Amino acid sequence: MEKYDVAIIGGGSAGLAALMELSKLGLQAVVLEGAKPVGSKSVTGGILYSKNYRNAKVYNVEEVYKNFLDDAPVERRITGYYLNAVSENKVYTVDLTDAHNYQTNFAYSVLMVRMNKWFAAQAEEEAQKNGGGIVSGVHVSDIVWENSKTIVQTDELEPIQVNAVVAADGVNSEAALMTGARKKFDVEALYQGVKSVIRLPEDIIDERYGLKEGEGVAHLFAGDISRGHNGGGFIYTNKETLSVGLVYHLDSLIKSPIEPYTLLDSFLTIPQVSNYIKDEVPFVKEFDRDLPKEEQLRMKFGISKLLKSWEELRYTYYSKTARRKAIESRLYKSEEELRHRLDETRKELEEKFRVSFVTNYVELEYSAKLVPDGKRALMDKPYKNNVLFVGDAAGRGVFVGTRIEGINIGIDDAARAARAIARAKEHNDYSEEYMGRYYGELINESPYTDDIRKIDFEYLKIFVNACKEIPTESLNLFLRLGFMLLQKATVQDFARAITKMLDQRTLLALIETNEAYVKIPMEVAEKIGRTVNPDYKIKPPSIDERIAKIRINDDPEPHIKILDPNSRFIKSMVQLCPTKCYIMEILDKERFKSEVVLQHEGCIECGTCSKETDWKHPKGEKGVTYEYG
Amino acid sequence: MQSTINVAVMVKLEPDLSEGNVSYNPDGTLNRSQTRSILGPHSAIATRASFYSKVLYDANIKVCTMGPPMADIALRQALEICNADELHLYSDRAFAGADTLATAETIKAGIRKMGSIDLVIGGHRAVDGETGQTGPQVAWKLGFNFLGNVIDYSIDSANRIIHAERLIEIQGLYNILEEVECPLPALITIDPSYRERYNTVSQRLKYIKLQKEAMKKAENYKQYLKVWSAKELGVDTRSVGLPGSPTIVYKVEKVPRAKASRQTRIIDVSKDSELKELGMRLLEILNSK
Ligand SMILES: Cc1cc2nc3c(=O)[nH]c(=O)nc-3n(C[C@H](O)[C@H](O)[C@H](O)COP(=O)(O)OP(=O)(O)OC[C@H]3O[C@@H](n4cnc5c(N)ncnc54)[C@H](O)[C@@H]3O)c2cc1C
Ligand code: SF4
Repeated sequence: MEKYDVAIIGGGSAGLAALMELSKLGLQAVVLEGAKPVGSKSVTGGILYSKNYRNAKVYNVEEVYKNFLDDAPVERRITGYYLNAVSENKVYTVDLTDAHNYQTNFAYSVLMVRMNKWFAAQAEEEAQKNGGGIVSGVHVSDIVWENSKTIVQTDELEPIQVNAVVAADGVNSEAALMTGARKKFDVEALYQGVKSVIRLPEDIIDERYGLKEGEGVAHLFAGDISRGHNGGGFIYTNKETLSVGLVYHLDSLIKSPIEPYTLLDSFLTIPQVSNYIKDEVPFVKEFDRDLPKEEQLRMKFGISKLLKSWEELRYTYYSKTARRKAIESRLYKSEEELRHRLDETRKELEEKFRVSFVTNYVELEYSAKLVPDGKRALMDKPYKNNVLFVGDAAGRGVFVGTRIEGINIGIDDAARAARAIARAKEHNDYSEEYMGRYYGELINESPYTDDIRKIDFEYLKIFVNACKEIPTESLNLFLRLGFMLLQKATVQDFARAITKMLDQRTLLALIETNEAYVKIPMEVAEKIGRTVNPDYKIKPPSIDERIAKIRINDDPEPHIKILDPNSRFIKSMVQLCPTKCYIMEILDKERFKSEVVLQHEGCIECGTCSKETDWKHPKGEKGVTYEYG
Repeated sequence: MQSTINVAVMVKLEPDLSEGNVSYNPDGTLNRSQTRSILGPHSAIATRASFYSKVLYDANIKVCTMGPPMADIALRQALEICNADELHLYSDRAFAGADTLATAETIKAGIRKMGSIDLVIGGHRAVDGETGQTGPQVAWKLGFNFLGNVIDYSIDSANRIIHAERLIEIQGLYNILEEVECPLPALITIDPSYRERYNTVSQRLKYIKLQKEAMKKAENYKQYLKVWSAKELGVDTRSVGLPGSPTIVYKVEKVPRAKASRQTRIIDVSKDSELKELGMRLLEILNSK
């Protein structure tokens, strides 16, 4: 049997950081990842933070990857951060840039799959120095302990023997179940995230959001966007795309189920959001059916060719770098010539093929994923035997109101796990008592752990300060009291003492209510919001069109087993599965008995149904592979 | 200690017959000037099979081809696949017009020049010739053991034995798996259904590492390239090229298409009358059963 120092299960951002750090410390480590290419099953919002805690150490992305700031394929540096309270077509925007910059070195918008690809390349290079690396397209199926040996088994390869394991296999961690380190997360400990990546030319993004080259902005939305559910929406600007999505408390969704794509659609069609995503898109009319078949075919080819070049021209014209490159490489003499070609192509489409241009938007990718709610999902003991849990697998993440941080925390965890393993190697003791406990200590020292557990008074103060224009009479009694206490300098010490005393769970039970997510923002928007009126209506693609675009390899073997087809939870999946995998089948018409069945497996492994299913990542290369994430 | 295994791979530059790339003359023959040439698909499979011995046995790989100077494109592509150590191009006017036998003569001479070779790997056949003869002929000329239709192999270098699985046909029964062993040196040709099996973590890691290295090497592929003339190979010009070719292609015929035994009719579902007709016809069929 082959031997390695460490097996890392999962090649998302956390697993790859573990590989990088372990390799730097001279250990021979391998990442075993189900997706091929590595990292292509990850989904994020997403903003990647580098934090700056004055009194405590964090392992930031730029420390793990030294060339991060020079070479990483980040999208835009986030320089503005806003919270939009919405009610119908009224919006009130709070500038939260100060709260966002609090203890932050920098924040970049990222597309997770691209970012992971870069992380993987760096980590792999480092790992090769010690004979380690990344193996993608393999699914870890078990970890067994035999005669003091730890053996990792996969569906594809011969088993390997290791000294330690890093479980970085995400929110639906199978390692957690294999080792019995924790049960599957409860619905109260999870959010469901659903997202679409929308294409928009670079210059249009700059102009629409008032940004300089390379700058980006983050918008959060609350209120009348959720059809009464607890959660919110976001738009993050990338270089030539927007990440637009929603994150909802899963328990709130289970209570009154609703299709994730319906929520996404209604979000995309609220005036403020459609104003942000709108674009000019070609609308191809149906062909005259009486035309001869060959003529119809000829037209079809003609249009698709021309549309392709129109799109290429447009994205070149509206992108600073692409424009520069095209002129430098003498593809076009000048910007004017490029513009001229673009106009000509458009004219040809309009005149020759009767293509019209309408206001809509271009959706590139639809995705969904569960997010662990750190304050309820956090593993008290993120280790079991010689297996250390990091990132989403350990249920770690700061998701408090407008603070959404998971990637950076997974990276920090990974660096700590690597240090614990390196020390274990030195003393040749990988036991739970020695290595596990030390890792637990390192994790407890992480300022993120504090952030997950406790409310940070300073952050709260900045937040409340940003909201000072909001009339307090729209708040409920508890919140009004809180706001007033925090705003009054004289009683701030008292307020500080209270926030110190209360842990997240207690405080959030009071704050994370339907009132805070839905009613208050609506009231605020109605009272002091401005009116936004679009003169068009955006038409989102149907769910079938969305699924058709996702790359899912057909897996002939079903990998989801429903445990109880009659449970309330599973019945809600008929609506909550983002890709409509379930239906309700009437079994007995007379007695109206029905059961939930899996109608197909267009499964994108979001994990929503995982709680009451025997749910496995499909084997090896099978399953979803995202292009953007 | 394991001794290094020396592998030679014979490949061929062929017209890219994939959809959208191939161009025909009005008379139906291939328009060679309009059709781009690439490493032939069977050659690519043979090259992949050689990479297996690089990953598993650290084999030293030399890829060879006979063709015009531009055939080095095929060698470059092969290098990308198998991380070859040397590329050999046999290029000389004297080689022009060769049939399979004359080609085998040139390749034999080339492989002899490579020094000690344990294993020669070739494709199943070429897509433009379809004869599948060159491989066996080279084996015969070199006096090597020959195994065709190989779908998997392993090498016992200490005992100098190759173990192979081949897909054969016996008395009209297809796809029978035969396991064979023979002493090295040997020449094997690879079946199109060949699938390499990298079963261990270290094999996968090495695969990735060598693949990356290969891409880098390919940027500078000329550094690994040696072009040989007939004189340098030391072949008798009467036994290569046109003079050395006993076969003559005297006619190429288009195979006539079989007559359709079924008739197709396209139904326009937007027209009610046609839909109705379809319904009636289906009913008729169902009733008749
Ligand atoms: C909609 C949304 C918005 C978010 N917004 C933000 C944000 O703005 N900022 C932020 O910091 N965070 C955000 N997050 C959270 C963040 O994306 C995650 O915390 C982070 O991506 C988790 O990384 P990970 O490596 O722990 O897990 P993952 O990225 O999920 O990686 C787990 C990997 O393990 C693999 N795997 C699983 N099981 C196996 C197995 N048995 N064998 C082999 N491989 C296996 C999977 O294929 C996957 O590649 C957001 C998340 C979502 C869904
Ligand atoms: S079937 Fe797949 S896509 Fe649907 S809820 Fe379950 S995990 Fe998500």
